[in-house]
Amino acid sequence: MAGKSGRTIEATPQDVWKKRIFSWEGMLVVLFLFINIFCRCISPNYTVANVLREMPKYLSEIFLLLPMAYILMLGEIDISVGSTVCLAATVACMATNANVPFVGVILITILTGAVCGMVNGFILLKFPELPSMIVTLGTQIVFRGIAEIMLGSGGSVSVTNTAGFRALSGEIGPFPYVFFLVLICGAIFVVLSVKTTFGRSLYAIGSNSRTSFYSGIKVGKIRFLVFTLMGTFAGIAALFLTSELYGANTTTGNGFEMDAIAMAVFGGISTAGGKGKMIGGLISAFIIVCLRIGLGQINMNPQVVLIILGALLICAVLIPNISAGLGLKKRKKI
Amino acid sequence: MEKKSVWKKITSSRETSLVIVLLVLVALISIKNPSFLGMQNILEILKNNSVIMIMALGMLCVLLIGGIDISITSSLAFAGMTVGMLFKNGVIHSTLLGFVIAMAIGAVCGLVTGLIIAKGNVTPIIATMGFMYIYRGFAYLVANSQWAGADALGDFKNFALESYLGLGFLNNVLFIVLICYIVFFVILKWTKFGRNIYAVGSNAEAAQISGINVARVKLSVYTMMGFLAGLCGALAVTIYASAQPNMQQGKEMDVIAACVIGGVSMNGGRGSVGGALLGALILSVIAKALPLVGIDALAQNTVKGFIIIVVIVLNVVTQRMMDKSNLERREM
Repeated sequence: MAGKSGRTIEATPQDVWKKRIFSWEGMLVVLFLFINIFCRCISPNYTVANVLREMPKYLSEIFLLLPMAYILMLGEIDISVGSTVCLAATVACMATNANVPFVGVILITILTGAVCGMVNGFILLKFPELPSMIVTLGTQIVFRGIAEIMLGSGGSVSVTNTAGFRALSGEIGPFPYVFFLVLICGAIFVVLSVKTTFGRSLYAIGSNSRTSFYSGIKVGKIRFLVFTLMGTFAGIAALFLTSELYGANTTTGNGFEMDAIAMAVFGGISTAGGKGKMIGGLISAFIIVCLRIGLGQINMNPQVVLIILGALLICAVLIPNISAGLGLKKRKKI
Repeated sequence: MEKKSVWKKITSSRETSLVIVLLVLVALISIKNPSFLGMQNILEILKNNSVIMIMALGMLCVLLIGGIDISITSSLAFAGMTVGMLFKNGVIHSTLLGFVIAMAIGAVCGLVTGLIIAKGNVTPIIATMGFMYIYRGFAYLVANSQWAGADALGDFKNFALESYLGLGFLNNVLFIVLICYIVFFVILKWTKFGRNIYAVGSNAEAAQISGINVARVKLSVYTMMGFLAGLCGALAVTIYASAQPNMQQGKEMDVIAACVIGGVSMNGGRGSVGGALLGALILSVIAKALPLVGIDALAQNTVKGFIIIVVIVLNVVTQRMMDKSNLERREM
């Protein structure tokens, strides 16, 4: 039984584990190609231009995936991000309607997200005994509740002056701005997690937070930082979401937290913490986005798409577990 | 000496503080609005929250073994929707059969979830997140863009209005809630299975070594949770006299919140039936009370979330104080 003690940090060379991790990212790349070929086969409209045009709709969720992967690496979870997106999107719409200059709107929106993240981080910093699941469950209800109060009895708001948001959803050639931004942020997050002390300490805390604390890592500070980062990116996601929808309502961002977690887990990042690679999360995010676009193009029932995604998610965790179990049995026989 | 320790046990137990919180809440509300304490009103509150109250029992067991299940409202919708469509299309007419089918569907959903978690070693939050999508998708597929309204449900919707199970005194729904609470109280308090649940939650490895089949305990707990979700699916259909594929969406968080307010630990091994009941009651009283004391309906969620945070923080603070005083006593 491999419990908490059975985890290994990647830096300690252990052949079996390293190989498996390596092959997981490799498998994801193969799967990515396979999914694209599959979508091309089922839908004649699945061309590069069309995919890029439809992508912005789904890309805002990747902004949530990036810091969510860090949170999972820490062994924590944040289920309040969907609500944070809702609140930030509401603030964005209202600020625009109040004739705030667009730069101000951007700042206010991101700030709103950051404050939400800070609230989570602050509670977890002051009361480290609390599981993050429960804290963010509470704040999830509060953040959406505040958005509900702001939206009033109508429950929705739409942007009257769309000029700023339209500029935000612009394109360079066939590529939308947001596509580049996702790639740049993704690259930064990958480098941060692999090449810096900060990234190392993420893995260390996720593997064993107590040991990390005693070896001088500022566990509370890093946790606070990562949750603030999560909120900030929820703000960014809200901006781009608004530039797609030109409005917000009480259900905006519903289930985003689950999608982000699903993408990360599918990419091989364990919810138990200390495992997985950022790059895997990014590849799996694009796999899911491409699959959604392809299945959407052939007008598949969105509920069936959800069933497929749910099954993929479970299989992604189940298959390595089963193969590991089989390997263990074999070794025992020898 | 004996007496003192019992008295101490009562005053220092979590349930007592919850009862006090509940009583204070009720007192404050009834000062502001005397109609709150009417029998009719109380029964109405209980009936409308029976789904949360019953599922809190299953969630209690799941949390006790250190797991979590966020797929419950999806399997609830799947079971409820299936029953609703069966009534709508005139396949079944008997209320009992409706309940049996819903419970069977729920139990199978729970069994599958349990198999993946117990035998496949998948983390509970991930497995149930996947099934949350899958079962909700099934509910939509069964519904096939239709829904079952009051006229389609026939006799089934009258179940929640009548009281033949409770011998004319107690509403049928409340009778079922009562039975569930009695059964779970007995199971967790006095049976081997109940002890096993606590053992697995406190230390799974130790439980395994001492001869408890951990996988089987997990499997049964998730199946039980699914069974209750199925039961609640049928109950929700009869209480609200409609079956829609999106019913009770997001309410799984309320169920978890009820347990947590009731002092059930997310790390497993700690929690009681009484706590779960009190947690669910406090949540439902708050929800009902806010409009009565003049808080805008729009602000209800904010207040609810805020209360959840305050309760869990208070929890930690009292725990710290208790640890501190224990330490001081030892030093003396």
